[in-house]
Amino acid sequence: MLRRLPYRVQIPLGLSLAVLLAAVLVTAITARAQAQNARRDTLSLLDRAVVLVIAQVRPLLVADDTWRVFSLLRDTAQLVPGADADRARLAILSPDGAVFAASDPVKLETGRQVLGEAWREQPLLSVLEVDHRKQLAMSDGSVVLIDPIRSEDGQILGFVFTEVEAAAFAPDWASLARTALIGILLAVTLLGPLGWWVGKRMARPVGRLVAVIERIGRDDPGVLRDDVPRTTDPELSRIGDAVEQLMGELDRRKAAEARALSAERLATVGKMTAAVAHEINNPLAGLLTATQTLRLHGSTEAIRLRTIDLLDRGLQQIRTTVAALLPQARTEDRPLEPGDLEDIVTLVKGTAEKQKIEIRYQVEVESALRVPSAPLRQVMLNLLLNALKAAGDSGMVSARLQADEARVRFYVSNSGPVLSVERFKCTLAAESGKDPRGFGLWVCQELASHLQGRFELDSLETQHTCLLFEVPNREAPESQS
Amino acid sequence: MSSPSWGAERLRIGLTPVILADQVAFLSRWGRYLSIRIGIEVEFVARESYQSILDLLFSAQIDAAWICGYPFVRFEAELSLLGVPLYHGQPHYRAYLVRSKTRTPEVQGWADLKGRVLAYSDPLSNSGWLVAQAELAKAGVSTRELKRGFFTHGHRNVAEAVAARLAHAGSIDGYVWETMRAQSMPAVARTEVIWKSEPFGFPPLVVRKAQASPQVEALREALLRMCDDKVGRDLLASLNLTGFARGHASLYDSIRHQAQRVPGSGLEG
Repeated sequence: MLRRLPYRVQIPLGLSLAVLLAAVLVTAITARAQAQNARRDTLSLLDRAVVLVIAQVRPLLVADDTWRVFSLLRDTAQLVPGADADRARLAILSPDGAVFAASDPVKLETGRQVLGEAWREQPLLSVLEVDHRKQLAMSDGSVVLIDPIRSEDGQILGFVFTEVEAAAFAPDWASLARTALIGILLAVTLLGPLGWWVGKRMARPVGRLVAVIERIGRDDPGVLRDDVPRTTDPELSRIGDAVEQLMGELDRRKAAEARALSAERLATVGKMTAAVAHEINNPLAGLLTATQTLRLHGSTEAIRLRTIDLLDRGLQQIRTTVAALLPQARTEDRPLEPGDLEDIVTLVKGTAEKQKIEIRYQVEVESALRVPSAPLRQVMLNLLLNALKAAGDSGMVSARLQADEARVRFYVSNSGPVLSVERFKCTLAAESGKDPRGFGLWVCQELASHLQGRFELDSLETQHTCLLFEVPNREAPESQS
Repeated sequence: MSSPSWGAERLRIGLTPVILADQVAFLSRWGRYLSIRIGIEVEFVARESYQSILDLLFSAQIDAAWICGYPFVRFEAELSLLGVPLYHGQPHYRAYLVRSKTRTPEVQGWADLKGRVLAYSDPLSNSGWLVAQAELAKAGVSTRELKRGFFTHGHRNVAEAVAARLAHAGSIDGYVWETMRAQSMPAVARTEVIWKSEPFGFPPLVVRKAQASPQVEALREALLRMCDDKVGRDLLASLNLTGFARGHASLYDSIRHQAQRVPGSGLEG
């Protein structure tokens, strides 16, 4: 759960928890140490109490003053741990080992014989055996101390009998727990908020760094650099330096992107220019052949009219092609006609004859053609020129225009080496960027895409390379213009 | 126990444990009361033992003393009565035998004290020693047959010793025990009276014989008239007394006769 919190909350909270944990540990260790020292402290206190009693009781024993001995024991017993809970008691024994007076006369009644008799079902030492302090550990865990009281000349005046029950040595867990609780409460009350404050202070640069990082890309890097916290902490300084370095890298990358965009725009313009030149250049060869035909055979009426008509359509195609590239110039395009294929074949015939290539073409139109003529003529011209190039000298190129209610298909095959699907795709990809001479296929691809059709290698034809251009038999989308 | 300083001349009165004399504030008020009426500073001197007070009296270090009837009859030749307190209007009191309150009391009377521990008050106390000696003798118990007998240096301590079960029984001044009970002292709550004596003359205030002086007479008058004013009555109430009387030596005849029968009393015939 702690890990889900923000870092700038984790630090103060963690510090506060550490303070609390430390307080609990210290208190627990202290309580444990106190518990271990309880027995030693109790015996030490007993020792001092016995010394005090012996010093005070001598004259009272000499005076045979039971009452004053009792008063002394009653008051001194208050110093002995456990006496208040009736777990410890003191008695003065007469020289014969009987009780002279006791702090608790109910348990140690006056005159009762103690030394040499059973005590807690365990025999006690006799008078003669107690020549110096005797500490007896009783079977029930209680401790009995017997100290002789001597006169100045060494005569035994009596004995101090001290008994502490086992329970008196046990740590006062309730008191320890209360003390521990007070310690923890004090730690939580005083050190907890202090830990929180220190933690917040420590995490403040982190919070500022986070705020700066969040603003990267939105605000001015100059302003952001000023907001990066300056601190003497080496780790935070490294983070701050890294943030500044990141901002520098982003600046450089942004500049590089701008440069790349500009270069791409220039490349696009160049490519478009090349495409336009290509599309204009394609029919030019045919048109020049037509002008040659007109010059040689223009005297014949039929040939002249047919050639002029061919020139008109060729020039119209160039005009439409250019218009398609100029959005501001809208030109009405007529639908494709079955004779357009013959036109295109006528335009490329000169090229074919130079290479001694035979061109066969076939028109199978079963429905009215609604597709625009300019892009289709452009496609047919491009594909035929590419086929002538691929067929090689003395080869053969076949073209077929097929149309039904739904679709218009144009097939072009050549007798050249068979083109695989992969090679075709590579050629298309290469032409799209690097090969300015092959713009024909790329333009066909673009036109097929624009007319929501397809341009691909005919998979049914395996003997020759056959390209298929297919579009829906309908008017071009509005955006064509 | 200091009073307004009226010069070097003053009256010193010795107190023994015949009363609960450890209430300093009360003694101060009583001394001031008597000083105003006598016209001379009055000071109280308390000692734990009767003998100590008698020593002070006989050595003229004090002018008067509140002692027991037994030392009065014992040293009657040297002492004269200054006044006798009135307890419930009478110059008499009784001696009590008290025991610890237990579920199964072992002591029912003097005869049961054989082999037991008995607490006395003072060797010169009538109720706290002389009566016990006479009654033990009557019961056929020799003091040697007691497990132990000891003095507690005051009637109050007798009650304390018996309450703590330091002693099985105690011989105590009935007036002191009743006064302790009236003051709800814990020791009394843990003891009970099992025997009461015949009435004896109340512990008197005495002076040395041939010590007659205007100051002593003035002190006697002041004591006798304490019951005449409210302050005096309040002081008497604190002492659990009703007044003072001149008294007569014959009041202590019963003590005298008893002492004559007790060996070691100093009066035995």
